[in-house]
Amino acid sequence: MKRFALLAVLLFGALLVYGTTDFPDWGDPSSPAATHVSPHYIRHSLEETAVPNIVTAVLADYRGYDTMFETSVIFTAGLACFFLLRVFARKAPDSRLYRHRATGITLRIEQGGRLPEGAREFERIDSQWVPYDLIIRTACRLVLPFIQLFALYVVAHGHHSPGGGFQGGVIFGAAVILYAISHDLRSTLQMLPERRTVLMSAGGVLIYAGTGLICLLLGAQFLDYAALAGILGVDPIMARSHGIFIVEIGVAIAVMAVMVSLYYNLASVGRFDEGL
Amino acid sequence: MSAHFPALIVVSPLMAAMVVAILAWVRPGACLPLAVVTLAGSLWAAAGMLWRVVVSGPFAYHLGNWPPPIGIAYQIDHLNALVLTAMAAVALVNLLATWRHARRDFAERVNYFYALYLLFCAGTYGIIVTGDAFNLFVLLEITSISGYALVGMGKRDAALASLNYIFMGTIGASFYLLGVGYLYLVTGTLNMADLAMILPRLYGNKVVTAAFIIAMTGLFMKMALFPLHGWLPNAYSESSSPVRSLIAPLTTKTMVYVMVRVALYVFPVDFSFGHLAFAQPAVWLAVTSIVAASLMALSQTSLKRMLAYVLIAEVGYMVGGFWLGNRMGMTGAILHIVNDAAMTLCAFLAVGSLRQQLADDSFKALRGAFRRMPWTMAVLVVAGLSMIGVPPTCGFFSKWYLIGGALAAGQWAFVGALIFSSLINAVLFFRIFEIGFFEPFAASDHGHPPDLAYAEAPATVIAPMLVTAAGLVVLGLLTGRIVTRIIDAAIPAAIL
Repeated sequence: MKRFALLAVLLFGALLVYGTTDFPDWGDPSSPAATHVSPHYIRHSLEETAVPNIVTAVLADYRGYDTMFETSVIFTAGLACFFLLRVFARKAPDSRLYRHRATGITLRIEQGGRLPEGAREFERIDSQWVPYDLIIRTACRLVLPFIQLFALYVVAHGHHSPGGGFQGGVIFGAAVILYAISHDLRSTLQMLPERRTVLMSAGGVLIYAGTGLICLLLGAQFLDYAALAGILGVDPIMARSHGIFIVEIGVAIAVMAVMVSLYYNLASVGRFDEGL
Repeated sequence: MSAHFPALIVVSPLMAAMVVAILAWVRPGACLPLAVVTLAGSLWAAAGMLWRVVVSGPFAYHLGNWPPPIGIAYQIDHLNALVLTAMAAVALVNLLATWRHARRDFAERVNYFYALYLLFCAGTYGIIVTGDAFNLFVLLEITSISGYALVGMGKRDAALASLNYIFMGTIGASFYLLGVGYLYLVTGTLNMADLAMILPRLYGNKVVTAAFIIAMTGLFMKMALFPLHGWLPNAYSESSSPVRSLIAPLTTKTMVYVMVRVALYVFPVDFSFGHLAFAQPAVWLAVTSIVAASLMALSQTSLKRMLAYVLIAEVGYMVGGFWLGNRMGMTGAILHIVNDAAMTLCAFLAVGSLRQQLADDSFKALRGAFRRMPWTMAVLVVAGLSMIGVPPTCGFFSKWYLIGGALAAGQWAFVGALIFSSLINAVLFFRIFEIGFFEPFAASDHGHPPDLAYAEAPATVIAPMLVTAAGLVVLGLLTGRIVTRIIDAAIPAAIL
């Protein structure tokens, strides 16, 4: 069996090498990829979509339909992870441990009892509990607003510079995950509950597909942002630019929420423990 | 509205999936009705497009109003309208027949199951209608990821089966993507119609040859043709029954459709069948696939595993019939995509019902099944007869075309493989019928009277199954019209 696998690998390697012999030269300006469709994008994307960044124009407008499905792929991955890992029938632990923050004295409460809500001077100790670490917490706290601001910048500035919904969404999601790592899952869940991550990931994709659907309902083709001109109060070219921005926001929300949801499910093996 | 059917048929299940994921938190009871209504709407749209194609010919839909090749276009023609209608019908009937099982198998997760189900359907429909080689890959990802998740949420070894499926499926999809990348390298376009215009100038190009072989190998892997079938039996037998009867009819058949689409409408016909010496090896591969899978089916001891191997043999039918390269064989292959989807659904629905009621589908558990579950077993009989190829079920007619094509092409090995496989199927199914009908023998049970209480599934499960079984006969009787009105127009005139 191993020999057969080796043979298959060698055969395919040979085929790939055989194929490369007829490749166009590296960086050849007269290669088919550089002369057939791309010149149209390079020459006309600004006048057709009012977006200076050609990559953004191709990604979110000319081939915006692909991008809608790429966002859906991310949503599907998040949903798949949730579907497989989420533990619905949780078993309540017999006893819980609570640590008094000021003194470090630990209480054990038996028979499924728990402290009243809002007992701030106690913290629960379980598998998700992270010992207090002043330096890490403070450093992350300080850096988080800047990361989030940068994420918003990356989303908003995708029209002009490298960036856009996917990149900005990932950065924003990473900021939330950083908070979860430096603090703990429980306090993160209080800020961004699981329910909200699922709603946001679905809602983000719905913003994208919904924009396309509105174009369709206005009588144009699906995702033809020019149809939004009437609603947005701009000319059809500018409407394309705005349409791209709207769907980029949808992408950013979906990607951010899916990242966080993946982290929640993977970090707690789907149990989410207390706090829900 | 009907002008937008090509976009709506893909976008509506997609958006419905998102809405279901939200409703699962807000109003759980609304998820199932929404899923059913959406799938019914998709079937309506698919049938509408089939009608339009038959009446007034193929048409295109430009997404974002960008003309191809700079934008993405959907191209609806006889070939994909037919396959799409079949797949939309399968998806709807399966949900109607198995939502009770799903509720039992998935419990609190069932609403997310509906969301993944809709995503899977959106991907499948998109793969079928798209006219863009890269868009096809993106949709393939959606179908695959939701498929992995659905398979993974099964019984005992489902996670391992799903992991295997992920490895094989990802490699297959990557191969297809690599092929598309190679084609982009030498043509600069991703649109299928545009590719078909440019490629005739590039026949001697080694990149095109490599792209063809790589993409086809990837597709063979995704459709589980014999040496690349390793993922299928476990993935199908370990998954839970609503999932099995969804992905078994849809996945492999959709991939066979993609192979037909790529070999006829992306690569020019004279390239696929004339320039490359690919057809003859492909037929031999199909012959091996049919014989090997039939023999392996013979050695299985549970119904669902046996059917999984029968399914691999059926893939061999379609691949072999297509690569015969003549009109009759190709007609048989395309007809078999539709027929096989219907009979796979029929057989797996019956198995799902048996499994739910008897809690087991090993051959032993089937003893006395005809008395305990007469309707389910009747449906299984129809599916079995169709897989064997007994008229007037549809399986007979596609096999007729396939054998006719093989005779015309002088491919005696393929004729032999088809007949051999039909005989094996006869043995397989009549063995089951015998166990279900005649056993348990009175003397063999050590004096304990066997439990033969009536245990038929509820009417909501039986009714869609009976519709499917009737569909097999109706499809068979409509064969003439399907072939003359639709399939004849789907095959390029260059093929005689």
